[in-house]
Amino acid sequence: MANEDFYTEAMAAIRACDREKATDVATRALAAGVAPDDMLKLGFIPGIAKMGDLFERGEVFLPELVLAADAMTGAADVCNAALPEGAGQKKATVVIGTVQGDVHDIGKTIVVAFLRANGYDVHDLGRDIAADKFISKAEEVGAEVIGMSALLTTTMREQIRVLEALNEAGLRDKYKVIVGGGASTQQWADKIGADAYAEDANDGVRKINQLTGN
Amino acid sequence: MSKIWTRMGDGQAVEMTSDELRKDMMEASEDAADKGKVPILEDNEIDKLMEIFSAPWRVIGVEPGHEVPLTKDETACTLVSSQLSSGAHLPISREAAVEVFERVFAFDTMELGWIDYSFKPAKPMVSLDQVSIERLLATTVIPILYGAMPNMGLYYTPDGPYTNPADLLGMMKVEEAREEEMKAAELCMEDMIFVCKRMDEIGADGIDFDTTASAGDADFLATLKTVEELKKTTNLGIEVGMSGEFILGMHGEVEYKGKRLAGMFPQDQLKVVEEAGADIFGPVVNTKTNKSAAWNVARAVTFVKEVCKQATIPIHANVGMGVGGTPMFETPPVDALSRASVAMVEIAKVDGL
Amino acid sequence: MQLNYRMRLPEAKKYVADKLHVSAFDLSDSTVMRNLREELDIGLIEAVPGMAKGLAAKARIADLLDIRIDAVEKLKAKLP
Repeated sequence: MANEDFYTEAMAAIRACDREKATDVATRALAAGVAPDDMLKLGFIPGIAKMGDLFERGEVFLPELVLAADAMTGAADVCNAALPEGAGQKKATVVIGTVQGDVHDIGKTIVVAFLRANGYDVHDLGRDIAADKFISKAEEVGAEVIGMSALLTTTMREQIRVLEALNEAGLRDKYKVIVGGGASTQQWADKIGADAYAEDANDGVRKINQLTGN
Repeated sequence: MSKIWTRMGDGQAVEMTSDELRKDMMEASEDAADKGKVPILEDNEIDKLMEIFSAPWRVIGVEPGHEVPLTKDETACTLVSSQLSSGAHLPISREAAVEVFERVFAFDTMELGWIDYSFKPAKPMVSLDQVSIERLLATTVIPILYGAMPNMGLYYTPDGPYTNPADLLGMMKVEEAREEEMKAAELCMEDMIFVCKRMDEIGADGIDFDTTASAGDADFLATLKTVEELKKTTNLGIEVGMSGEFILGMHGEVEYKGKRLAGMFPQDQLKVVEEAGADIFGPVVNTKTNKSAAWNVARAVTFVKEVCKQATIPIHANVGMGVGGTPMFETPPVDALSRASVAMVEIAKVDGL
Repeated sequence: MQLNYRMRLPEAKKYVADKLHVSAFDLSDSTVMRNLREELDIGLIEAVPGMAKGLAAKARIADLLDIRIDAVEKLKAKLP
């Protein structure tokens, strides 16, 4: 079986949202001598990128996206285990949540799925999260990035509290902070001193890639 | 080459050349055409958009005779609510606010709704809202609607009885998530029918279902089924306004009359809204804040033009903060807002805004 | 006309204009409409003593346009 056939099969497994198939093709490909990083870069990553594109076009939906992200995680675990120590594709750890007072979390859930699909270790705190919880979780898991969502014009101000709390704790420089959600803009991110603004889930991945040098 | 003063999608001022503006408009129209599977704008329509964006005046208007009526969503909250609804929190009643909209701001219709603007919290307050509507029907001349959002998220934890599907999806429990969504849709529908029938009892002119499908395809299904029931059993006129440009597939497999709702773009949303029996449809096209106002207006108009072409009912496009080509800014700049409005009327041929 | 009779804009304007014996263009002319509204006593923006207001104006509009307005029907049902 040619390498290209394994790549095609990998993409199909992600499109089928099938974790078992994804780990199986990864295992077989590695046994056949395909380089693990090639398998990721040429098979699984294009597969998940395609899923993201189909999601934005309204052709696949949230349950499929979440399952595809899970399949991707399974495949990435197999490939990363075969790479030399330290050469794995594991990216930064991200702590993410919807700020206190806001219970809207559909958009944030999509961002989490996109980030996981792209190899990030994501700790999703959920919704209505107080500033100190963002920080304590980030400290606990050794995160590099804190992501905050807020849908409403009123609750987006809570994002400022998290930044203030980071400053007060002397931890602001330790984390890259990214904001998003319905009413947020780049202008808002600049105004409150966040490191980045994400327009949507794809943009969130792109910006966190930039922030973390991936 | 002289530059044209315009805006970005977040409201920031920017100067662009004619060529840059035209390029943005064409790129945006192609993006809408690609995603929504609708035709791109024609050359003469791009020329008209260029004319709209090149106009040297701060505020522009439609050609005389092309005026359209306005339906106002989010009730009188702009006057009486706080920043929650971009409101000014004037110390006046909701009824007084509606009369101000009619007789000072010259609105063509108005609506009244509970301050939270969702059906679920409005339900226990319905007798209060009934008398408010009754009073307004006696004191105003314009059509008075009752307005609220289905806001199906309120039926999930921590606000409601059902497990939040976002949590279940995070645990890969897809079927369980879908079951909770369908249960929430049933309860949401019951509440909406209850409130709306009470409004019919006292002679309200209509209902505005605003920001529909915000919790995804099951939320939209609840609205469509509610509309269907109300059209069978009441005299209410019904407007259905959307929350976004495509139906988010939280469930992914919900169907209405054999059509999958998830992933529907405006012209497909229109068809099911018409089938349900609604009288006015309010399409939404979301603003991209990192693109220019010209890009956003061209994209919005490309979608909405096709909706208007296919519609058998009046189309009132949503134009305001973050939608319909308008910048995402709490007080949208009037130059950008008036340009978006004019483009919707003159190019998309909307029946109202 | 749009909300209760599902009329698209040109049809709605024509219907109302025909009933009022003006042109569709006139419907957006505030001078024409101010005078017409006063003449027909169908409600004004300003508070003019003696002129129809609120539900009274609505009842006159329902007659003039030959349409059903629920609130007017409810009022009629309350009358002895």
